[in-house]
Amino acid sequence: MIHFERFKLDNGLTVIFHKEPSTPMAVVNLLYDVGARDESEDKTGFAHLFEHLMFGGSVNIPDFDGPLQSAGGESNAFTSNDITNYYDVLPAHNLDTALWLESDRMLSLAFTDKSLEVQRNVVIEEFKQRYLNQPYGDVWLELRPLAYSKHPYKWATIGKEISHIEQAKMSDVKAFFKKHYHPSNCILCIIGNFELDFVKEKVNFYFGSIPKAKKSARILPLEPAQDRFKSKTIVRDVPADAFYYAFKMPERKNPGYYYADLLSDIMGREKVSKMYIELIKKKKLVSEINAYITGSLDEGLFIITGKLNEGKSFADLDKEIWNIIKHYKTTLISNKELEQIKIKLRTARAFQDQGLLNRAMNLSYFELLGDANGINQEQEIYQSIQAEDLRHFAKQLFAKKNAVLLKVKQKKHA
Amino acid sequence: MLNRQVAPPLTPIESIDFSVPQQLTIGAKVPFYWKNNIANETSKIELHFDAGTTVEKALVASLTAGLLISGTAKKSAIQIHHALDALGAYYDVSVSQEQSIVTIYALNSYLSAAFSIFHEAFSQAIFPEKELQEICNERQEKLKVQLKKVNVLAQRKVQQSLFEGTPYANVIQFSDYEKITRKDIQNFHATHYLKGLAKVYLVGDISMDEMEKINVQCADFVGEKHEVPTVSFAHQPSVHHEEKTDALQSAVRIGKILFNKTHPDFIAFSVLNTILGDYFGSRLMSNIREDKGYTYGIGSYMMENTHFGYFMIATEVAKEVREATIQEVRHEIERLQTELVPSEELDLVKSYLLGQLLKAADGPYAMLDLFAGVELHGMDISFYNQYIQKVREISAEEIREIARKHLDWESFSIISVG
Repeated sequence: MIHFERFKLDNGLTVIFHKEPSTPMAVVNLLYDVGARDESEDKTGFAHLFEHLMFGGSVNIPDFDGPLQSAGGESNAFTSNDITNYYDVLPAHNLDTALWLESDRMLSLAFTDKSLEVQRNVVIEEFKQRYLNQPYGDVWLELRPLAYSKHPYKWATIGKEISHIEQAKMSDVKAFFKKHYHPSNCILCIIGNFELDFVKEKVNFYFGSIPKAKKSARILPLEPAQDRFKSKTIVRDVPADAFYYAFKMPERKNPGYYYADLLSDIMGREKVSKMYIELIKKKKLVSEINAYITGSLDEGLFIITGKLNEGKSFADLDKEIWNIIKHYKTTLISNKELEQIKIKLRTARAFQDQGLLNRAMNLSYFELLGDANGINQEQEIYQSIQAEDLRHFAKQLFAKKNAVLLKVKQKKHA
Repeated sequence: MLNRQVAPPLTPIESIDFSVPQQLTIGAKVPFYWKNNIANETSKIELHFDAGTTVEKALVASLTAGLLISGTAKKSAIQIHHALDALGAYYDVSVSQEQSIVTIYALNSYLSAAFSIFHEAFSQAIFPEKELQEICNERQEKLKVQLKKVNVLAQRKVQQSLFEGTPYANVIQFSDYEKITRKDIQNFHATHYLKGLAKVYLVGDISMDEMEKINVQCADFVGEKHEVPTVSFAHQPSVHHEEKTDALQSAVRIGKILFNKTHPDFIAFSVLNTILGDYFGSRLMSNIREDKGYTYGIGSYMMENTHFGYFMIATEVAKEVREATIQEVRHEIERLQTELVPSEELDLVKSYLLGQLLKAADGPYAMLDLFAGVELHGMDISFYNQYIQKVREISAEEIREIARKHLDWESFSIISVG
């Protein structure tokens, strides 16, 4: 059980405080309710580029990292299709430093041309390093637009193409800040050995004077129901043919989300899953196989992916994949297997909860979903799932017209 | 009233509480460290074996580690994994140059039972031919992917350059797979695992009886004490570029042999390393990423083995600025050798390092890792108090002196691929 307190400032900032008496450190986590899904289609990659600019100095403080490092702390951030999350970890007695820095960059950024120019280059190098200069690195740049036709999940967080980042203008940056970076669009979570009154006083002191702005309504293009199976083949200089089956799955707040998550754990288990035994051990079709979910807030993807062994064909594989899928649609998972998965989830969760930063990110994320207390209810939901729930869910999920398939074919050298 | 332009006052770290685990032994020789009084129900056990990649051929070490629970005469690999899963236990093996570490994570009420399953599977492993074939296929497919990455290629090359003529230079090649046999694996297991247990770390609130049972089971794997042999390196600094016409970036590695914690300059060099390249505000990051935008990231780090260490600068940069990047690295190193680090920067790095040490000592798992870091070198936990003192005292003059002594540009191998 993770105990926490929640309070709200007049300007709309939501604050979650979790007291942890055993640590000399403090965590300050800020989740901004903005991600790549909030970008317009001709300016993609912006939420992430913006995350970089948040470290380029704010209106009253020229350098973000220096003061935090002087306080013995460090900071980082990540951007997803749904959110942008910033965190600071520092010795608890220097909590003020993190609040001072974070409140100033929520108030306003420095917006220097130099910072924009440099971070554009840095992000372009990140684009190359992570997406273009790696085998299979561009798979998600291809898979997203195949799976989504209208919803902004059709582009990756890094952006659709490098040119969008190259063309980012200062006016775009300022408009983005104004729209998304203000108290009512943020959840602040603090963990440390503090008293609630102390935290309230500090948060009010640093964040209380930031002007209130209206949280803008999010109206995203709706993804039309998929009506047919789609597939695409790309040819790349890769060492083995690879495949990505993607099935549309329910949004985060739908109970089906938990079924999908558990089912992916069962199907993707290393060494013991049916897919592993059939495709790797018995038929020697693939060298690796996995299943997982994208875990997004809106309608997400359930992925089955792997690499073919040399001399094996996509057609052979396709037959086997649909056979396995049929198995989960028709046969109940044994109670023994279900119990194994559930106890493994319990173990994993106990280890995750050890980390302060993990707790802070999770509390913030559940608050975004509606209630930070969701962190304490999630295990109960998983533990209550029955084999029949999963079979029933698999029937809906694994309809062929609900799927897309991306094949990465090895370029043959002359 | 809040004045946003003025930084809040800082409180320095006074002292850090370091604690040591209970030290028991297995039989008379092998240390068994136990940390209990954990605030939650998590637990783990780590078994350290003298079974790293330098002990014999790298491939046999790597494959044996991957096959430790691949089946016994009575149970298949699948049955064993199911038994571990039924307890909610996670199993992991990692192999480094000098050792292999088996870790089992579980809720504390299941740790002892999970360990018994591992014990049986591990001590009675028969290494079925079929399992060997499968892992060879899987690993070769993975190696094909790895060898498409410029950072992996550069890392392999620099390792070969630094450690030439010693087992530390060995990297796994496809041709190694042609020669490997089941017999090699069985022999390696018999010699380096069944008689190769070097130490055990246990974290978690288990009962005294459970702890003793695990301890007795561990005794089965104790043989003659293995000493990591000392090696002498004849590193010939080399500059080498491998062109990859289709690459978008070049990976750069700049490295040299160095020392470990036992060397009197270690702590001073750690401070120097941080200033140069080991935190977000480092000289290399400030210049090459934040000023020039050449890269997504650049850093320097120190690695430690039993008898030596090495120092490395690593980055991936746009191809057209590869040479410019190497020149900037040289420039930053030479600046540290000729100019004094400004007091503001030095103070910042000192505070940062102490804050990071406070974090590294936070919680039982972190604390045990810190302890393991000194135990490996036969040192005790007081090292960290010396570290705090040295970091506080070190002067800009001493940093410059250390840079002159250990960062001679001509002593580096400079490898780039892409």
